[in-house]
Amino acid sequence: MRVVVDRLSKAYGYVWALKDITLELRPGECVALLGPNGAGKTTLLKLLSALLAPTQGEITLDGERLQTNSPRLRSLVGFLSPQDHVYDGLTASENLRLFTSLYGKGKNRAETEKHLEIVGLKNWADQYVGSLSTDMKCRLIIAKWLLLEPRLMLLDEPYGVLDGSGVGLLESYLRNLTSGGGVALIATHHVQRALRLCSRAIILDHGRLIFDEPKQEPWESFQRAFENFAPREERWNY
Amino acid sequence: MELLRQTAWLLWKDLLLELRRRESLLAMFFFGVLLLFVFNFAFEIPREKAAEMAAGLLWLAFIFTGTLGLAQLYQAERENHCLEALLLSPVDRGALYLAKVSFNLLLMLPVEMVVFPLFWMLFNLEAWNLLLPLFLVAFLGTIGFCAVGTLFSAVTLRARARELLLPLVIFPLMIPLILATIRAMEIVLRTGGFEEASSWLRLLIGFDVIFLTAGFLIFEWVIEA
Repeated sequence: MRVVVDRLSKAYGYVWALKDITLELRPGECVALLGPNGAGKTTLLKLLSALLAPTQGEITLDGERLQTNSPRLRSLVGFLSPQDHVYDGLTASENLRLFTSLYGKGKNRAETEKHLEIVGLKNWADQYVGSLSTDMKCRLIIAKWLLLEPRLMLLDEPYGVLDGSGVGLLESYLRNLTSGGGVALIATHHVQRALRLCSRAIILDHGRLIFDEPKQEPWESFQRAFENFAPREERWNY
Repeated sequence: MELLRQTAWLLWKDLLLELRRRESLLAMFFFGVLLLFVFNFAFEIPREKAAEMAAGLLWLAFIFTGTLGLAQLYQAERENHCLEALLLSPVDRGALYLAKVSFNLLLMLPVEMVVFPLFWMLFNLEAWNLLLPLFLVAFLGTIGFCAVGTLFSAVTLRARARELLLPLVIFPLMIPLILATIRAMEIVLRTGGFEEASSWLRLLIGFDVIFLTAGFLIFEWVIEA
């Protein structure tokens, strides 16, 4: 999938959350989206998932303009936000059945259980999601997107709640997605972890794109851009 | 077909959550019954007058209990940002609306089925044979109530004082519906048939059709705003 963002801006009232963002995400790319709190990372993810409509500019997915009323394109976009987007009052298995049905990819119980087994939740298939730990909820959400097979995967701070094996699971999923031509965009503060996986980094600051380069060794330009906003303990050398 | 399939899945989800939590149905049921007892104690109505006032009092009870249900209508979607999850999906926004209207209707109908005979017992009414025709009129009114209520419950979804705002928004809009339902029920109670109430019933059906259609068509803009 090719994602083209053209002069994208988003204002909340009189405040510009994003201003004049232009970028292209190519098939197979895994991109780290970095920036301080309030830089506009989540707003960009929500615009790319059509949860928000842009104030100016446009987004195209494989040449087709993304609009809030384009169900076909919506089914190609995934949004992973740990702990969110699952019903606490339904079981893990029921959540998967509900969402696969809404996406027109109805799966039977055996298929949902197979995916719950992949993410290590086989024994929790009939547990209410509200009783699961945050790590388990995140694993369930990974299982959901494994079943829904989006081509553009947007991740909002995915690392905070996952344990070691959970991170491995997520990274393995993202590697499979990008090796098949899909695109992943990871908004995170866990810079080192994200850059281990990603082939490119984008930095937003005050709603503007201040850095966009493919990963390289050494990467002094990134170091300089990053130092402007990162707290001291997060700085590192190559 | 896809629309109906999506509506059925969303309705299944709402019913399952309600069956497990029993929050809305129990609250509405007890509030409805409580209102009848309050009416019974507050108004000393002779039997011959009770039939005249039945329509108004019953509808007052239904509207208040229904508003209680509307305030909780999107509670499941507010938790864990599940509304976002639904909006991310390719699900038809009309299906979201139809599922919520059906769910609301399925909450209100059992309450009405209990409140009607209870009212008859509390006010010593004799015309038990009129319960079914009256229930049919109330059913038409309830469809309109759910159509408007579901739409405006979504409008006020992101408002801070939504529980206070919702009745202020929907009650003025429902004046034709309330008037038509009460008048139609009064006529059915007085005459025992639908013939004389036909103009009010047509108004009720028109209201239902207009608001169901409008809600279905504009829900996309309301919910994504």
